[in-house]
Amino acid sequence: MNDLKLAVKEIEDGYDALYCPAEFLEQYEQLECLSAGHGTDTYLVKKKGGEEIFVAKCYDKRVHTNVHENSILKELSHRGLPAFVDEFQNDFAACVVREYVEGTPLDQYLEQRELSNLDVIDIGTQLCDILVYLHERDNPVIHRDIKPQNVILKADGQVALIDFDISRIYSKGSDTDTQFFGTKNYAPPEQYGFSQTDSRTDIYSFGILLRYMVTGKEREDSNVSIYKPFGKIIKKCTAFAPKERFESAKAVKKALFLANPETQRKRKRRVFICSMVLILLCVLGGIKWYQYETMDFPAASAIPAVLTEEERLADAVSYMKDKYGTELFNEMGSYADIGFVKTVLTDVYGYDRDYVYALPEEGPPHESDHNFLPWGMGDEQYVPRDVMIYVAVKIYWVDKVLDYTSIKDDNGYYPGVRVAVAFAEESGIVTGVGRPEDITKGEMAILLANADRVYTALQE
Amino acid sequence: MSDLIEPKSQKKTSVLFGLLFKTPNIRKFMEKTEEGMWLPSFSEYINKLCKDGDEVPERIIKRSNIERSFGHQLFKGTKNPSRDTVIQLAFGFNTDVEGAQNLLKYARKSALYPRVKRDAAIIYCLHNGFTLLETQTVLYDMKLSMIGRGKLYERFEISG
Repeated sequence: MNDLKLAVKEIEDGYDALYCPAEFLEQYEQLECLSAGHGTDTYLVKKKGGEEIFVAKCYDKRVHTNVHENSILKELSHRGLPAFVDEFQNDFAACVVREYVEGTPLDQYLEQRELSNLDVIDIGTQLCDILVYLHERDNPVIHRDIKPQNVILKADGQVALIDFDISRIYSKGSDTDTQFFGTKNYAPPEQYGFSQTDSRTDIYSFGILLRYMVTGKEREDSNVSIYKPFGKIIKKCTAFAPKERFESAKAVKKALFLANPETQRKRKRRVFICSMVLILLCVLGGIKWYQYETMDFPAASAIPAVLTEEERLADAVSYMKDKYGTELFNEMGSYADIGFVKTVLTDVYGYDRDYVYALPEEGPPHESDHNFLPWGMGDEQYVPRDVMIYVAVKIYWVDKVLDYTSIKDDNGYYPGVRVAVAFAEESGIVTGVGRPEDITKGEMAILLANADRVYTALQE
Repeated sequence: MSDLIEPKSQKKTSVLFGLLFKTPNIRKFMEKTEEGMWLPSFSEYINKLCKDGDEVPERIIKRSNIERSFGHQLFKGTKNPSRDTVIQLAFGFNTDVEGAQNLLKYARKSALYPRVKRDAAIIYCLHNGFTLLETQTVLYDMKLSMIGRGKLYERFEISG
């Protein structure tokens, strides 16, 4: 029979409680150690007197000299990140208590099952959303340890990113990071001290993670064939030089969206339509342009001169809100789709719903009393710039897009877009929307606000 | 007797206990499993332990104070154990600290860590050959959660 009283005494005497702050130990019971190393111990803990579980990270101050950075990490609030709960310090250590994210780490999840391409896109997209949140803060946070063990899949399908052990706050002007950590295979070259890590560090690790999700391996294996769009994304994410990688998590997210087979199918259809429009522009390049000699465009005074792209966006959204009472353009950075255009036509401009949503008759695109858009584009399709210019011009100067009969049109292709673009460029209403690709809601607001201002100025 | 189930140590001094915190073996189990390294399943491991120790699962289950049908499901591999269940099995196998750490490793659970007071108590008891009941008494006297308290803090488990 063992001496249990002696055992209790020896355990109490031998137990080293100095490392963790006393206040922390008074309030929380440690249940188990999830990991230890590099001066950081991670515990699963329970608040005394309660049942809820938390995660506590205790940092050895001799190793981690920058524990004050946690003041910024404390402010992080995103459904994909464990929320800050509490913090304790003594001379030896700092302990940060965070929400416990219940779920399965991605590495364990992949031990049991394979992911479909859509699963990969879903997980990757959710991770990108988290990285966009971290990287686009006033004080960008670089995670620096993105790997399958730190990605948790919850039971409801949501993805969470945990373990901010070695994350850092990006500091402009700093040449290198002060500490070199990371996980082999997932850490990019710059994380070994050659330069400061920035958001592209996380993008590199994301690329390795993507490869792992798709192939089961971190290293490239030419014997394993993967879905081509994924291969391109992985290659760009993991480029050796940071400047050759995707410049932002937003760009990675867009690439993943485009890699979706359904998106690819729709995109091919949209590319076909835009190609027809471009072919028309080339064919009619030598044809006489529509003359607006009687028009005097007060573009310079009607469209305000703004200093930056951000100011222009904010101004346009504010203008549409003030004049039309609409907040539809608040999500400035989101890409506009045809369905959104139709909503703007009905809700902002009061067009008849049947007219806006009617599909055109069969045959080449042409103007009609029955349908606003001359093309049968799906509501989910993104809006090419020139199509939106056509919409804006048609709202304010419908006669411009109706009267193109003077332009030779032997091929029967729809010239309304070319006419609208020419008018828009001459009147200046495309100021601030120079990019020729799919437009965002913010750019749409700029276009409509410009058109509104020029039209109003002409009436006065 | 197999080297997988070692004889209990009879020495129990505070010096020894102090050494436990410094032993490299603890660190070995705190380091994550090397990526790509394949581990046999937990049920394969405990069946092998039984075979090598000339034991039968029934006796291990009984000594572990685990519910009988659940215990057999663990040996069949149709259920995964909680961390506390693995610790109970360590007592059932009559193993020492390293043996318990191996069981936790094969179960993909966190190792016993001396900086966690409860783990420190369990490490002490395993090292000094305490029975499961004696260990529970020690934990109770120290006002720490006893072994086998439940699965409140288990991660989402994938059953086979």
